[in-house]
Amino acid sequence: MFSSPDIQAILVSLQAASLGTILGLPLAIGIAWVLVRSSFKGKAILDILVSFPLVLPPVVTGYIMLIVLGRQGPIGSLLYQTLGINVVFTWVAAGLACCIVSLPLMVRALEVAISGVDHKMELAARSLGAGPIKTFTSITLPLAYRGIISAVLIAFARGLGEFGATMIVAGNIPGKTQTLPLAIFTNLQTGDEANAIRLVAFSLVLASISLITHHILLKRRGFRSQ
Amino acid sequence: MNEFLNFNFSKSYPDFELRTSGSFPHGIIAIFGPSGSGKTTFLNCIAGLINPDIGEIRLNQKLLFSTNAKTNLSPDKRRIGYMFQENLLFPHLTVEQNILYGYRLTKPEERRIDPEHIVDLLEIRPLLNRNTEGLSMGEQQRIVLARALSTSPHLLLLDEPLGSLHASMKASIILHLEYIYKELQIPIIYVSHSLSEVLKISDYTMVMNQGNQLFFSATKNLLEHPELSSIISPGTIQNIFEATIIEHRAIHGITMVQIGATVLAVPYIQEPTGEATSISISASDILIALEKPQNISARNILITKIEKIDSLGSTILIHTNSDPSLKVEITSDALNEMKLSVGIEVYLIIKSNSITLMD
Repeated sequence: MFSSPDIQAILVSLQAASLGTILGLPLAIGIAWVLVRSSFKGKAILDILVSFPLVLPPVVTGYIMLIVLGRQGPIGSLLYQTLGINVVFTWVAAGLACCIVSLPLMVRALEVAISGVDHKMELAARSLGAGPIKTFTSITLPLAYRGIISAVLIAFARGLGEFGATMIVAGNIPGKTQTLPLAIFTNLQTGDEANAIRLVAFSLVLASISLITHHILLKRRGFRSQ
Repeated sequence: MNEFLNFNFSKSYPDFELRTSGSFPHGIIAIFGPSGSGKTTFLNCIAGLINPDIGEIRLNQKLLFSTNAKTNLSPDKRRIGYMFQENLLFPHLTVEQNILYGYRLTKPEERRIDPEHIVDLLEIRPLLNRNTEGLSMGEQQRIVLARALSTSPHLLLLDEPLGSLHASMKASIILHLEYIYKELQIPIIYVSHSLSEVLKISDYTMVMNQGNQLFFSATKNLLEHPELSSIISPGTIQNIFEATIIEHRAIHGITMVQIGATVLAVPYIQEPTGEATSISISASDILIALEKPQNISARNILITKIEKIDSLGSTILIHTNSDPSLKVEITSDALNEMKLSVGIEVYLIIKSNSITLMD
């Protein structure tokens, strides 16, 4: 039913969205925790910075990433010189693009979840001998379970839909960096509407799977995250 | 003197300042005062959840906090068990996992208390495999207590632990606390705004008002302090006893109970004779007469002598030498007019309906 480039595009999309979510989750948890539980000067700046990818056109985000990760860029040159890795125009770049654009969504979902955890629960854990990290991993995170599930699925779904930033920083190379949305776009551009519709249908299926998974996971665990 | 806690610190807020210094002898210490007097802030400073602005706290001579020495042990290093006002069971863990949470974090060489023993002591073994939903308040409280004790703390802090409890639960927790102190020798600091509870439970009392420490006293002498009158309101003092059911007079709607050498008629209860029950009588619900009242509807008339008279401002608290001793609250006007004094014989009149059964 799907041609080989289509399957490639689906796989690249899944890979990129997974990588973006895996990289983004710990980062988002850390940022959300800092935003909710700590107070320091410059917290407002962090808050604003986190939201940036949400308000910037993805193409602009992609372009900034291209500059930073490119072989001449500060991070890109470092990676190339030390490890011989080139990130731009690979599926990894697509994954990083997913990570950056979905980060604000994850942070917001996690902020709500972490601030919903009764701080006194954490204090109770501290008084029982748990240090800050143990308290966070054994009390805060499990109680923020629902928020984490939501954050992961929102990020993954956003990653699957990533278009603008990916196109700039990873390109639209069929079989290599062409993701599902890019493949749909290309098919429409070249007039292959039938193929585009098949991919659109598949996108619908993927989105439905995400939402159903979300629903099932949240229903399964009995406890409330207070 | 065998003191476990030495402290001298202050903490300011925009609208409130806590200033306190002293040392607590080993025992059950009550912190008594009205709401907003700084009792919980005091506990939080001891536990390390709030940092005082200036001062020092030592537990068993070990420095927990000092602005001079720049020492501030984090709460998890202080080895202080803390029972908050709310029960705060971890909802994602079973009862057993809750109890073992702190035990597992306690270094093996510091484990002096066996959770198995605590579980039996507090009668929660049947609950171990349950999750935390659907537990009664009393059960939750015993689990939280077991969880705190399983860390082998050097001090146990309780913030109004009986506040949310039904009366019979209160009596049961009170007995548990006394037993815990005797058995495990862990000093207890207990915050309460109920004078009857304080009198019932504690060995020593620190009285606080508006962030200041009014005085510290052995609880048995507490009522002799005239400063107390400024913070207690009339009608709040209760006589609380463990009573044994000795006879039912169902058709008359009463049950006879025995407390010490005293037999009282109380409202009918459906418990077999021989069972223990807790009863409470408000000190202001007991009448005093100089002659034996005749033809009176009240079912309980006791003859006793006045042992002690405490003045709490406009109200007077009379202690009788009956077994058990009862506290009776009257106005100073009544005291003067009746010319009551220590040693004279009086009749106490108690309506059976003013005796509350704590079931």
